[in-house]
Amino acid sequence: MPLRCAVRGKGRGWQTRADGCKIYVWSGRSVPREAGLSEAILKTENLWKIYRVGKVDVAALQGVSLEVMPGEFVAVMGPSGCGKSTLLYIIGGLTQATRGRVLVDGNDLTELSDAVRTQIRRTKIGFVFQRFNLLPTLTAEGNIAIAQHIHGNGFDPHRFKLVTDLLGLSERLRHKPSMLSGGEQQRVAIARAIINEPKIVLADEPTGNLDSKTAEVVLKMLEKLNQELGQTILMITHNPEAAAYARRVMHMRDGQIQDGVA
Amino acid sequence: MIAELISRNIAHRPVRTAISIIAIAVEVTLVVIIVGLTSGLLQDSAKRIEGIGADIMMQPPSSSLILAFSGAPMPIRIREKLEQMKGVKAVAPVLVQFHSAGIELIYGIEPKSFDAVSGGFVFHQGGAFEEPDELLVDDFYAAAKKIRVGETRRLLDHDFRVVGIVEHGKGSRLFVPLATLQDLSGSQDKASIFFVKCKDPEETSQVMAAMQRVFPRHQLRPLKSYLSMMTSSSLPGLNAFVDSMIVLAVVIGFLVIFLSMYTTILERTHEIGILKSMGASDRYLVKLVLSEAGLLGGIGIGAGIGLSYLTRALMLNLFPTLIILITGGWLAKASFLAAVAALAGALYPAYLAAKQDPIEALAYE
Repeated sequence: MPLRCAVRGKGRGWQTRADGCKIYVWSGRSVPREAGLSEAILKTENLWKIYRVGKVDVAALQGVSLEVMPGEFVAVMGPSGCGKSTLLYIIGGLTQATRGRVLVDGNDLTELSDAVRTQIRRTKIGFVFQRFNLLPTLTAEGNIAIAQHIHGNGFDPHRFKLVTDLLGLSERLRHKPSMLSGGEQQRVAIARAIINEPKIVLADEPTGNLDSKTAEVVLKMLEKLNQELGQTILMITHNPEAAAYARRVMHMRDGQIQDGVA
Repeated sequence: MIAELISRNIAHRPVRTAISIIAIAVEVTLVVIIVGLTSGLLQDSAKRIEGIGADIMMQPPSSSLILAFSGAPMPIRIREKLEQMKGVKAVAPVLVQFHSAGIELIYGIEPKSFDAVSGGFVFHQGGAFEEPDELLVDDFYAAAKKIRVGETRRLLDHDFRVVGIVEHGKGSRLFVPLATLQDLSGSQDKASIFFVKCKDPEETSQVMAAMQRVFPRHQLRPLKSYLSMMTSSSLPGLNAFVDSMIVLAVVIGFLVIFLSMYTTILERTHEIGILKSMGASDRYLVKLVLSEAGLLGGIGIGAGIGLSYLTRALMLNLFPTLIILITGGWLAKASFLAAVAALAGALYPAYLAAKQDPIEALAYE
């Protein structure tokens, strides 16, 4: 029986529905916004980030407040230097805010130790970067599997197959990053980001290093992940064409969200 | 998965990996060979002394167990006093002279008394001394130096004719007449050692006690326990030398691994950032670095054990009379030291990896 769809539900793994369709149940932890629950998966409140450059304080973020609901695909758009990446790194727990709160699945990252933030990142967040950031010594398969290893749940072959099939990587798994095209590398990076069923995928200019045709493929993949798996995605981009794939777009300028907050 | 990442990492930089492995292998080999050489030479020397077959060895006051380091010889007339003692069957005076050219001891012996104590030589070729300038060599020495009966060898600035090749294990590898050696070393009527054979070996302690009463300051040793007494602590400074060499070897291993892992961490800063972005904990990264050092250490230790045996084979080929004792105990100790040095060398790089700022690491080119 061919794979028809992957759905959220109780339990995890392959199940056969009453109509005979074979489905992959991948988690029941987060519920799409459309289901009617209003608990935000991501929330920032009056977020400030001030860098000290020499003797001058530079405010990269100036009171950013936003919410992302489960199952949403949100784009944050803005010009270079407006604070998009800083916002993403703070949300991802890679750095701390100077002021304000960041709640990921109810956990306030600003209150947590570095070790706990790392744990939140490991279990609830998946990153996709502009530069792909694959480990050059590992194959595509290794790059995806290491995320599962770091996560600590071990290798899940069903999840692995689902994700790699979905992203069209099945034939390229034995190749190292240097032998993959930019689009393939980014698809491997996306597979790595979602392999552990994170609460939210943070994508930092995921098409910034790709030509328009490949960028379209990657964006369609992200859209597909959002629509078919209900994956929550927050994408940073300066490209309006890329932002158009999101269901909601926030505009950012000078460290502040201009519109699209709700 | 971690094993795959580590193995691919070490395969990624083959030269650095090879240098690290070689450094650890050399570290293990240095320890094993230095200890093996000292203990081998000491044991061989002790076995040969035991092999003489005497029951008691008498040396001058304050003399060393290591015969080459013994002080002034004793008057040879002591022999008569010893022979008159109750329970003494035979006494063999021996003058020992260090032959620096071959790093060997030469025994000056009287064939008759030496035979009485030792039971006589087993001759592979030739026969006993008949003239003052004659030389006996043991089979090991003869094979190593390709010596044949009838040829002349120059020892102590004097030409000796080889008259016999004897079975090894009778104290020395080179034997010359006692009187000749006394003349050559300016020690007329002197002996370095008296080997005493008791009528009944069971009475050795009583005979020794009697000898001690007459010669209270002289060194008397039962040869039955000579082997156990012959340790590196018997030779002044030997332990310090061996320990220094071991410390040096361990420090070399530590520094090479430290440098290797430190440069690895610098080079892989970006990869560390990637792992951190995936949620790799400090502990995970420390484990990754230490495991890599551990793998290098393990391969290096294995190579070091092999290299130790290879070095021994090469050294024995070049210097066949050398004895290099490689024991399981010292292989284990050297392996342990190398493993500790490798892990210690990787500790700081592991700490650096764990403490990298993820954003800076991700931005690292």
